[in-house]
Amino acid sequence: MNRLRAWFLAPSWAVMLALFLAPLAIILAYSFLTRGTYGGISLPWTTESYQRLADPIYLTILWRSFWIAGVSTVFCLMLGFPLALFISRSGKRKDLYLSLVMLPFWTSFLVRTYAWMFLLRDTGLINTLLEKLGLIHGPMPLLYNDGAVILGLVYGYLPFMVLPLYATLERLDRNLLEASADLGARPWATLMHVMVPLCASGIRAGAILVFIPCLGAYLTPDLLGGGKSVMIGNLIQNQFTTARDWPFGSAVSLALMAVVMLLLAALVRRNDEGLL
Amino acid sequence: MKRGGVGLSVYALAAFLFLHLPLLILAAFSFNASRFTVWQGFSLRWYAAALQDSQLIDASWNSLIIAAVATVVSTIIGTLCAYGLWKRGAPVLTGSLYLSLVTPEIVTGISLLAFYQWIFRFLRVQLGMHTVILAHISFSIAYVVIVVMARLRTVDAQLEEAALDLGANEWQAFRYVTLPVILPGVIAAALLAFTVSFDDYVITSLVAGVDSETLPMVIYAIARRGVNPVVNAISALIVVGFGGLILISERLRTR
Amino acid sequence: MAAAGLAGCSRDRRPRLNVFNWSAYIAPDTVPKFEAEFGIHVRYGIYESNEEMLARVMGGNSGWDIVFPTDYLVKPMLANGLLAPIQRERLPNVAELEAGFQQPEWDPELNWSVPYMVTAAGIAYNRKLNPPPRAWADMWDERLRSRMTMLDDPFDTIGACLKKLGLSVNSSDAAELERASVEAIRQKPLLRAYLNAEVRDQLVSGDVMAAHMWNTTAQQAMDSSNDVGFVYPKEGYAVYPDCSVILRESKRQELAHQFINFLLRPDIAAANALAARTTTTNAGARKMLPPAFRDNPTLYPNADVVARGEWARTVDPGAQRLRDRLWTEIKSA
Repeated sequence: MNRLRAWFLAPSWAVMLALFLAPLAIILAYSFLTRGTYGGISLPWTTESYQRLADPIYLTILWRSFWIAGVSTVFCLMLGFPLALFISRSGKRKDLYLSLVMLPFWTSFLVRTYAWMFLLRDTGLINTLLEKLGLIHGPMPLLYNDGAVILGLVYGYLPFMVLPLYATLERLDRNLLEASADLGARPWATLMHVMVPLCASGIRAGAILVFIPCLGAYLTPDLLGGGKSVMIGNLIQNQFTTARDWPFGSAVSLALMAVVMLLLAALVRRNDEGLL
Repeated sequence: MKRGGVGLSVYALAAFLFLHLPLLILAAFSFNASRFTVWQGFSLRWYAAALQDSQLIDASWNSLIIAAVATVVSTIIGTLCAYGLWKRGAPVLTGSLYLSLVTPEIVTGISLLAFYQWIFRFLRVQLGMHTVILAHISFSIAYVVIVVMARLRTVDAQLEEAALDLGANEWQAFRYVTLPVILPGVIAAALLAFTVSFDDYVITSLVAGVDSETLPMVIYAIARRGVNPVVNAISALIVVGFGGLILISERLRTR
Repeated sequence: MAAAGLAGCSRDRRPRLNVFNWSAYIAPDTVPKFEAEFGIHVRYGIYESNEEMLARVMGGNSGWDIVFPTDYLVKPMLANGLLAPIQRERLPNVAELEAGFQQPEWDPELNWSVPYMVTAAGIAYNRKLNPPPRAWADMWDERLRSRMTMLDDPFDTIGACLKKLGLSVNSSDAAELERASVEAIRQKPLLRAYLNAEVRDQLVSGDVMAAHMWNTTAQQAMDSSNDVGFVYPKEGYAVYPDCSVILRESKRQELAHQFINFLLRPDIAAANALAARTTTTNAGARKMLPPAFRDNPTLYPNADVVARGEWARTVDPGAQRLRDRLWTEIKSA
């Protein structure tokens, strides 16, 4: 049996080693080199790139990325929980509603981000409508700021929050909720003290699935942030293209990965259902 | 428990609207005769422009070819991998698959670019369709493994044991007993891999060569210059295309 | 669509040439004319900034044959071993270049590059803005908050700040560059975004009232709307000759020379300048331009405006590192 299993796993091993782990190893090596005169890499080996990371300006970017990703995750949770609750209670139509939630995900992420560019710009639909209704006198700058980025991220990743929440809510024992009500708890108390703790694993899964991609987001801040809202993803891209500072870009990439792995270590519990 | 039943339904309606309205509006304005956000009559001119743009057509073909090849390869590799892991875990492989899922796209992209640049010092190769396809296979495998694994977990391991007792060897047990049972999961995984590959911008833009411009790359280039109804038209076509694919797959899955 | 796709898939037996150029920088029929005359299939790609082009070609295996860097990048690209030598004998039309460009400062023997067109950076504005901007200092004006953009280009934006401070755009002095960087960071909260040619449509539609813009893009905007104007700031401005170079990785250097020679033909150069709305470096072409275009103040300004212009030069490597680092800090602020 082991022979067959070895053959089955071999292709995946090959791909992971050659196309994922080896590239990461190269990036690790690059992070300890020096920027070439006009860009790229050159000797000598140095830890200068990592030392640069301690500069307050980069910590600001990290903090801002955390902030934007965190706010987006919280919004996804607040918007997604009632929706997941609704679907879990909708009986026969569950599959239909789930498909409706997932449908935007199946379309292109770029298209969905562009949709918000279309709606939020000064001569876009929202401003035009508000002006026609007489509610505002000049266009509001809805695009090219952190708010637009958060909106784009929430819109893009909401389905990722709804699905795990739905999975745990569906398995919730209704009797527990009824018992809580019978014992005199008001609906809000039942929600906070019974329902939410029981769904903790779903909330954690949803938070991970939303927070981590938001942290490393690149397209959304690029298109909706107007080149001003620099998140870690933009910084990395910037170092590898405009600044041509591969060592520093590599260092930032690895720092981001370290942060992600720390978060996972903190949030994923052994008894949570593993994804793999 | 009927607490907040009506309120919840109203909220759900609003949430669904939030999710779908932007795309519907986008599609609606793809039929607008004017390029500004003022409705000036129904027109198909942007669709005509999109379908006649040779760059768009080339890019669409590239996207389709890349997605098709990457999907087939990653689905096969991923299914085999999920089956192997189901039999007995392999922590390091599982760990790296997990890692590839949570690695931000920009990091995957630049690491692959650095890897290719380094390799190209020894091989006389350039960036092109092959580099993109390899990259897509790399990040799709983890998705396939997840979906197939989820399906495998619902399979009774005793089925295979019974087959083995009856004289089948391991390959036959897999091929004729387990595989048909998990086939809907494999198809779902293939669909997911196709979508993820077709839609990818960040990684593809970094490792694409002269000849391998994909549809998201073209859309991005146009979208960067501002709003252009041609993008609305392409977007509507993509949404309808993938929506149709999903509906078909759902029909197949619940058969 | 399927038929067109299939047609594209069939083997095209003509020799290939891959040309990578700025967006909207060539006449629409130049490439088809070249393809018809020489029987070569040209793949024509476009980019929005020097950095975008460099990022692609730096690895030395991008697949492109000809690219169009701005003059100050020729020496660095040469130092990085990216360029193939230009063989003058294969370019008879090089005699058509204007005298001032036959022995340019960055490549006196034209061994590595061939001048193409000249652009300059200034301020484009929507005429509804009253009074209109006249100097770089006007781009720090509070009334333009979130209605103006600067170029997403380190040399241009830092250069504008240097000019505002009365310094040279080519400064290598660390103290001067730091001062310019402070100005940029001061300005950043007022900006809508850092955008290149992409902002043209927003300027025309009125989303943006003033934009740091290259004169070619501004001219294109002015062509599509009477509401747009352009000014060369009174503190001075940077001038950028763009040139064509052949990449060392190219396996089609013979064909590349043919294309560059083709671009140097007066009629072709004139058509390019007219379509792209640029200043040509080709004397023969300039004679063929229609008078209205030849006297266009944006593209062919009069002598005292020209005197304020400063040619962009290669910055020495140490200063370049500082500039790149400052740009990262400005973008991240």
